[in-house]
Amino acid sequence: MGAPLLEGHTAVVTGARRGIGRAVLERFCQEGACVRVLNRIEDPDFIAYCLALEEKYSVSVDQVYADFLDESALKAALKTLCAMKPAADILVNNAGIAGSTSMLAMTRMEDIRRSFEVNFFASLTVTQALARQMMRLKKGSIVFISSSAAFDGGAGIDYCAEKAAIIGASRRLAVELSRFGIRVNALAPGLTNTDMGAVTSKEDEAVAVSRALLGRRAEPSEIADGVVYLASDLSRFVTGQVLRVDGGLLK
Amino acid sequence: MTNREKYIKCFTDALEVPAEGVEKLEYQGVESWDSVGHMSLIAALEDSFDIQMDTDDIVDLSSFAKGIEILKKYGVEI
Repeated sequence: MGAPLLEGHTAVVTGARRGIGRAVLERFCQEGACVRVLNRIEDPDFIAYCLALEEKYSVSVDQVYADFLDESALKAALKTLCAMKPAADILVNNAGIAGSTSMLAMTRMEDIRRSFEVNFFASLTVTQALARQMMRLKKGSIVFISSSAAFDGGAGIDYCAEKAAIIGASRRLAVELSRFGIRVNALAPGLTNTDMGAVTSKEDEAVAVSRALLGRRAEPSEIADGVVYLASDLSRFVTGQVLRVDGGLLK
Repeated sequence: MTNREKYIKCFTDALEVPAEGVEKLEYQGVESWDSVGHMSLIAALEDSFDIQMDTDDIVDLSSFAKGIEILKKYGVEI
């Protein structure tokens, strides 16, 4: 076996308490990265899990907390993250909420704005702070978690729009940050076995699963493998792209 | 090194300009003070004075003189 793919790297992963973020955290630790998680909720079980990861993989897992709907709290948390040494050279923007499940005509605009605040604007705020550190390092990899819903409309109006916005933003950031040696990509998972995936309507499930060539939901670890690829030097000549990990949503 | 000397050195190093005339520099007034140069200048200021600048201040730092005003917010007197 070769050296761990992320040895010597320091990553920030948002929304790592459950689901895809938690799987990314574990895979990053397996690959030798030190990880700083930015979560909303302090959870004793998660803290114990982080300690176990530290022991198992001989890496550090630091935890910082902020509600992504509270801009001042988020900025304070980012100051804490940016003061940590060494500076992070990997960022995974994963934190998100499921958003609405009703049709636009039955969805309040304030709910759409709230959802955008968490799933889109907060990730830009996080990126704004951490990309500055990477600019100094003249290297880095930023991964945005988008969704297959950005392409096929398989979720609520807000979620589909936010995840499409993420793709546009990641492409623009790839342009802006390439001169600093920073790569920016998005990963678009299909429906995945997570708590968020469990609230998907039957109609959306049919779109996501029955149309996928592989005919099933993804496991979070399968999404995390794609994130490891985009974060690591395996993808050193890849930027401004969207990696679809959706079981083949071609139909 | 005084704070003023450190401040001038940030400009001369980050923007690769001579110290003469540095007091009159403005954003995009010389070729090297473009967006890339600006972020290099911000990094130099943060490292030299051990501060973390807010995004609003990064946007507002549009000249040598304006920078002196902004750094006061962080307890740095030039």
